[in-house]
Amino acid sequence: MKASAVRQALLLIALAFVPAIGEAIYFRNKISWQSPIPASELVTVNQARSWGENVIWVDARPDNEFERDHIPGAILLNEDRWNELLPQFLGQWSPDRKIIVYCSAQSCNASREVAKRLRDEAQLKNVFVLDGGWEAWLKDKR
Amino acid sequence: MNTNFLKLVVALTALAQGARAELKWEQTSVDLKPALGDKQAVAHFKYENVGNTPVHFKSVHASCGCTTAQTQNEQVAPGQKGEITATFNIGGRTGTQVKTVTVLTDDPDPAHSTTVLTLKAVITPLLEIQPTLVYWQNGEEPKPKIITAKANKDAAIKKLDVISSVPDFTAKVDAGSAPSEFKISVQPRDTTKAVYATLTIKSDSPVNTGSMFAAAARVMPPAPATKSTLSTIRHDLATPAATAASPSQ
Repeated sequence: MKASAVRQALLLIALAFVPAIGEAIYFRNKISWQSPIPASELVTVNQARSWGENVIWVDARPDNEFERDHIPGAILLNEDRWNELLPQFLGQWSPDRKIIVYCSAQSCNASREVAKRLRDEAQLKNVFVLDGGWEAWLKDKR
Repeated sequence: MNTNFLKLVVALTALAQGARAELKWEQTSVDLKPALGDKQAVAHFKYENVGNTPVHFKSVHASCGCTTAQTQNEQVAPGQKGEITATFNIGGRTGTQVKTVTVLTDDPDPAHSTTVLTLKAVITPLLEIQPTLVYWQNGEEPKPKIITAKANKDAAIKKLDVISSVPDFTAKVDAGSAPSEFKISVQPRDTTKAVYATLTIKSDSPVNTGSMFAAAARVMPPAPATKSTLSTIRHDLATPAATAASPSQ
């Protein structure tokens, strides 16, 4: 009786593996690289506003988009010119201020990448990503 | 009557199936391995119009500003082959990068009108620097702090030069624990005044001559006096012991 139950359980597990393996093979080139950002790293525009002056805004968009418009006081730091822009940002960084990185909806992986590099390479703490990016800021401003 | 209606349906279906436009892609996903120090990675997405009516490109849109995509022609005649070239500007990016190009055609079949082309590139840096910032609190003992630079084995880096933008910091380079590793020892001359320096790191790599990397060193400004600190100071000044010890009394 027990052996039969174990056999049935193993059979069910084996059956469950069939679609899983199939999916892994079929979607092998379609892996989602844009895994969701942990909630602890995301901040909304309202949360950011509540932090007041205690924030350093980092604009991770390309140069031309930053030049067109940006959050007042934001520092440009994109991966197009990482080696040039990083020292400029670090010169203005302060350990008692929170860092919020944003980009636009079109390039919204950029803010995540920049935030990760600030944490990993510069070993900075309190680095966040703005939920909804530049568009969310604009919407809130209206 | 019914027979005539059926004939009409069959004829229309045959006509609809006969007049079709379809772009067949050789591949919609390309894996690129740019060489060390490359500034761009280029992917070619080849297609062929396997239908019997022309296909028009309505839009070709890259997922980020770092990628540009170009079509050879705006219209693809039946049987015609061509390609979309996607150019990814690497800039200062490292690691695995996935960029997409969305192609929209006038194909009436929604299943074929939109195609997402994926470009994946793995970028290995010439030099991995960590941390890119070393700093000292104001008044902290000016002991050296270490920045580790790991060189890519293929870069054949034998020597690193580190130049501080201001004379307030010294930087010394030593060999690290691994053959392609360097330890950069950074030390401020004084930690009583706020100073900032850009550390420019140059390698002797024959792979990408002239490439420079950056790190930063800082002595932070004195912490601003908080309300509690100020009240403690005021309290100390008001006590008799503090008054007695005051040289002005």
